[in-house]
Amino acid sequence: MTSLLLAAMLPAGAGRLHAQTEYYARVGAVGATRLVRDVIVDEITVRQSIAPMLALGGSLPIGPRGYRAGLETTLASGKFHSSEGGGDIDLGTLRTGTLLIGVEGPLATGLRWRAGVGGLHYWPADKEGIFRSGGASRFLAGAGVDYRRPAFSTWDLMTSLRFDFHRFTTGELERRGFAQTQGVSRLSLSVGLSRSTR
Amino acid sequence: MSSRTRWTALGLVVAAGACNDIAPPIRSDFYEWRRVEPAQGGGEDSLSFHWPANRLPVRVWVEDDASLPENVPQAIAAWRAAFLYGEFDARVVSDSSAADVIVRAGPAPATEFSRVRLPSALAPQCTGATDINVTDDHTRLLLPIRIYVDPHSDPNAPNLAECLALTTTHEMGHALGIWRHSDDPADLMFMDPQVPGPDERDLATAEVLYHLPANVQPVGP
Repeated sequence: MTSLLLAAMLPAGAGRLHAQTEYYARVGAVGATRLVRDVIVDEITVRQSIAPMLALGGSLPIGPRGYRAGLETTLASGKFHSSEGGGDIDLGTLRTGTLLIGVEGPLATGLRWRAGVGGLHYWPADKEGIFRSGGASRFLAGAGVDYRRPAFSTWDLMTSLRFDFHRFTTGELERRGFAQTQGVSRLSLSVGLSRSTR
Repeated sequence: MSSRTRWTALGLVVAAGACNDIAPPIRSDFYEWRRVEPAQGGGEDSLSFHWPANRLPVRVWVEDDASLPENVPQAIAAWRAAFLYGEFDARVVSDSSAADVIVRAGPAPATEFSRVRLPSALAPQCTGATDINVTDDHTRLLLPIRIYVDPHSDPNAPNLAECLALTTTHEMGHALGIWRHSDDPADLMFMDPQVPGPDERDLATAEVLYHLPANVQPVGP
């Protein structure tokens, strides 16, 4: 983060670093496994719908072999619902934001792997139900692949597939006596533009 | 970083995702909420009611008296706290002809609309009652449910405001589907309630009843 800020803010002496800094923006969609599984009489699950997503990020080189370190943030906004016995109840809007610091490296021409750790925050539109005590922040680990192909003189077309994982709970669920946490996996696919460092 | 190391790390992340689920609590501390009525052919019927999802939010009309416009929304909010999964919701509406629940100030009329009256809150300051009109075959609830909150004659009686608030919340508990009184004075749904709001047992009872099948379905208005 500091390096990225320095690269962006220092006009003199950092020109070379700035030239090696890659920025990107993507839009796409993210889907997630269930947030909660409960049993009162029948099984009840709470899931997020597939949500539109915006991703912004940047990276700097950290070695001679094509490795880079970077920061990526995403924001997604969609609906979530509970399901029981074949019926669904709309629970409103749920926004999620993530911030990951990670490393990336080459896999093949145009293809790069990425892995990172960071945090995720849930912002419910209404403080109701499982979010009655408010949103929740969780640690997050993620990995993925990016594919770039030249599109313009200084911009590449970027396609990204991401997987991340966190353990979910909320203050209200803990207050109600829910033990442990729910493993939540998310998968996203997005396309965008990346400032080329060619 | 070797290719093998990368794929091992990715495999560990995926494996972590398949680990154990959140563990829900065991709900066992609740009381009987079903109304027992003599059955047409002899014996008894246990009447179980909750608002179906397709009737939500429940429409509540409130008379502008006895602090009802303030107390009814607070009562709705207090009961909504029972639910994690959107099982119940209610809104105050301005048109009584389209209401599912009508809340009035004053004593319940001598001529009952209802076949079942649930008298409550026997405090000296105020009393309450909820009338539910169930058909003879015990399969349909004819709407609206009618709630009466009666501030007794002296408007300056001590603790009148508290009595009105807790009585309103208690009666909303009946409108929610708790058609029977608790036998524990610590519960709001005790016949002569002493506590200001639903306790854990009240909330657990409301939560459980919304996940069991109802045998009485609302009809109208």
